[in-house]
Amino acid sequence: MKISACAAIVPSLRAPAQDLAAPDYKLRIAPVTLELSPRHRVKTTAYDGQTPGPLLRLKENRQVTIEVTNQTDTSELVHWHGLFLPTDVDGALEEGTPPIGPNSTRRYTLLPSPAGFRWYHTHTMAMGDLRRAQYGGQHGFLMIEPRDDPARYDQEFFLSLHDWDGYLVASDDGAMNPSFGAATINGKVMGFGEPLRVKEGQRVLLHVLNSSPTEVHWIALAGHELRVIALDGNAVPTPQVVPMLRLAPGERVCALVEMNNPGVWVLGETRRHVQALGMGVAVEYANSGGAPQWRQAAELKWNYEQFAARDGREDPGEAAIPVPLVIESKFRGHGAMEAWTINGKSYPDSGVAPLIPGRRYRLQFINRSADDHPLHLHRHSFELRSLGGPATANQSGASTQIRGIMKDVVLVDAQTRAEVEFNADHPGATLFHCHQQNHMDLGFMMLLHYA
Amino acid sequence: MAQAQANYEIQVYGADTVPANNLMVELHSNYTIDGERYAIDGVYPTNHQEHETLELTEGINAWSEVGFYVFTSEQDGHGVQWVGDHIRPRIRVPESWDWPVGVSLSTEIGFQRSAYSTDTWTWEIRPIIDKSIGRWYFAINPALERTLHGPDVNQGLGFAPSAKIGYDFTRVVSGGIEYYADYGAVSHFATTHNQQQQIFLVTDLNVSPLWEINVGIGIGATGTTDHLIVKAILGRRFDWGRHAATD
Repeated sequence: MKISACAAIVPSLRAPAQDLAAPDYKLRIAPVTLELSPRHRVKTTAYDGQTPGPLLRLKENRQVTIEVTNQTDTSELVHWHGLFLPTDVDGALEEGTPPIGPNSTRRYTLLPSPAGFRWYHTHTMAMGDLRRAQYGGQHGFLMIEPRDDPARYDQEFFLSLHDWDGYLVASDDGAMNPSFGAATINGKVMGFGEPLRVKEGQRVLLHVLNSSPTEVHWIALAGHELRVIALDGNAVPTPQVVPMLRLAPGERVCALVEMNNPGVWVLGETRRHVQALGMGVAVEYANSGGAPQWRQAAELKWNYEQFAARDGREDPGEAAIPVPLVIESKFRGHGAMEAWTINGKSYPDSGVAPLIPGRRYRLQFINRSADDHPLHLHRHSFELRSLGGPATANQSGASTQIRGIMKDVVLVDAQTRAEVEFNADHPGATLFHCHQQNHMDLGFMMLLHYA
Repeated sequence: MAQAQANYEIQVYGADTVPANNLMVELHSNYTIDGERYAIDGVYPTNHQEHETLELTEGINAWSEVGFYVFTSEQDGHGVQWVGDHIRPRIRVPESWDWPVGVSLSTEIGFQRSAYSTDTWTWEIRPIIDKSIGRWYFAINPALERTLHGPDVNQGLGFAPSAKIGYDFTRVVSGGIEYYADYGAVSHFATTHNQQQQIFLVTDLNVSPLWEINVGIGIGATGTTDHLIVKAILGRRFDWGRHAATD
C-alpha cells in the first residue's frame, strides 16, 4: 500500500479468503520514513508503512484472525482499543498479553465487540524517548460494523490527529513536559495531503481520532457545523450540533456534516498555534477552487454533558460499588517529568480490591493534580455519571450528574472529580491508565483484578 | 586591573529568555557587609554599600529578549547615587531545536560613573549554557569583557566566568552554589591576589512561574574581592499579550 494513498481517506485491508489457513488480515510493523510534507520527514515505526495504519473493517461478533509481523528489533504489542477482548489478546503486557518479539510474528484471533469506531495502536513504553511508542504515531483505525448499520450518510472519512517531533520544555507546573514541533491530520501537514472531496447536498460522516501521545485537540470545519452522534464509537443518547469537537488522547468522535456551503474550507485545529504547526486538511466541494478558507472561532466550546440522556430516569439496578481513585503527581525535580500515583502508589504497586464478576462499580476519579488526564479502562466500556465536582475525598460540592454516555476514555479536568460506572462482566486482569504516554510511562497505571 | 565595583547584578544566567510580549521586572539588592574600606583611584569604597539594580527585560519572540539596567548605590556619606545604565540584548537556541543543553548568548554594553568604576564604558559578551537533570541544575557563563573607555581600554578581552550548581529539595525550594570570577586579561591573567573570586550559597524559591526569588550570601576568596556580601533578587513577570483560548 502506498503511503501517499492514505492522506485523507485511509484504504481498508482486503481479506484474502481463499486459503482457510491464512489469516483474515495481515499487519506488518516496520521502520519507515514518513513524509509529513516535502520538507519534513520523520523516521518512525508504522503499520504497513503508513500512518495511520490501514483501516480494518471487522464485523461485530464475527471471529477474525489478524497476523502481525514485527520487523523491528524491539518487542511490540498491539492494543485493540475499545474492544471487549480476553487478556491474552487485548494487547497490554501488564494484563498478560504476550509481546511480539523482534522479527517475530503472532496471530491474534478475536471476536470483535462492541460495534463502533475503535482503533489499534502500540502499547509499548517510551519513557524518555519522545520518538518511541505513541510518540511515533504507530496506530490505525478499527471499525467494528454492526450487523445492521442504521447510519445514513453518503460518504465517510477517517481522520487521525497526531503530534510529532516531541521535545521537553520546562512548564509552569515546575516539571518538564513534552511539546511538539509539528501536528498533522492523517500524517500530513496542512496543504500537503489530499483534500477531502465532497459534493453539495451530501451528508458526510467524520470519524475523528486523537492519536496524540499527550495533547488534547480542538477541531472545527470552517463554514459548517458538526452533529455529534457517537463518542468513543458508542452512540450518544442526545446527538448535538456543535461548532467544534474536543478530543483528548485516545478519544474518538463521530460527527455528521451536512455539506451545504460550497467552497474550499479548512477542517483543522481551532487554536491558531496548533493549526500553524500543520493540523488541518482542506475540504473541497466539487467544482470549487481556490485557497481553503478558515473562520476563526472566538472561544473553545465543549462539554460531555450535552450528549447525556434527558429522560430523567433514575439509576437502573443495584447501587454501584464505589472505588475512590486519588490521582496525584510526584515531583522528581525541575529537570524531569513528574511521576504519578493512584491512591499514593505508582504502578506496579498501585491496586484496589478485586472486582466481583457481575457487579457494577463506580470509579471515582479524584484528580488532585495540576494536569487534565484522559483516563482509559481496557476491555470494558464505562458510563459517565458525574463530572466537574471538587477533588475531595467525599462527594460534596457541585457536580453534574449525567447518564447514558458510554465511553472508554474520559478527560478529567485538573483539580476536579469525575465518576464513571462499569459492569464487571469481562473477567481477567484489566488495565486502567492515563492515556498520556508520559503519564503511563511514569506510574499512572493500575491493574484491576477479578476475584 | 582598573578599579571597579562589580556587585550590582550577582546572577548566573540560565539559557531561558523571557517569553514574547512579557516584561520581567527584577530588583537586585546587594549589601556589602565586609568590603573595600578605602577609596582607590577615586572609586568609592564598597564597604557597607547597598546596591539596588532595577532590571527590565522584554521578551521579543521565542528566542530573543532585550534587558535594560539602572544601577544605584546607597552609602553613608554619599546618599543614594545613580551609578549607570546598561542594555543587554540576548538570543537563545530555540527549545524546538531540542539541543541536549540550553544555549544562549547575551551581549551587554553600558556606562558607569567613574566614582564607581574607573572604566566608564564597558562591553561584555556572555555565552550561557545550562542543563537540568532531574533535581540537579548546572549553568556556566564564560563571559568575556572589554573596556571601551577607561584605564583598561588597552587590556583587551578580560575573562569573567560564573557558574552555578543547584539542587531541588522540593518543587518550591532549591539550594545551590554560585561562583563568580574575574581573571583579568585573557592574554595575561592577573595574579591570584588581583583576581576576583566569590562563592555564594544561594536558595531559589519557585513559588510561581510569575515570580523569581533568589537570596544568597557570598564570600570573597582573594584580596581584592569584597569579603562578605548578601544578595537578593526579586522578580515578577508581567504578560502584556492578549491571550484568547483560541490563540
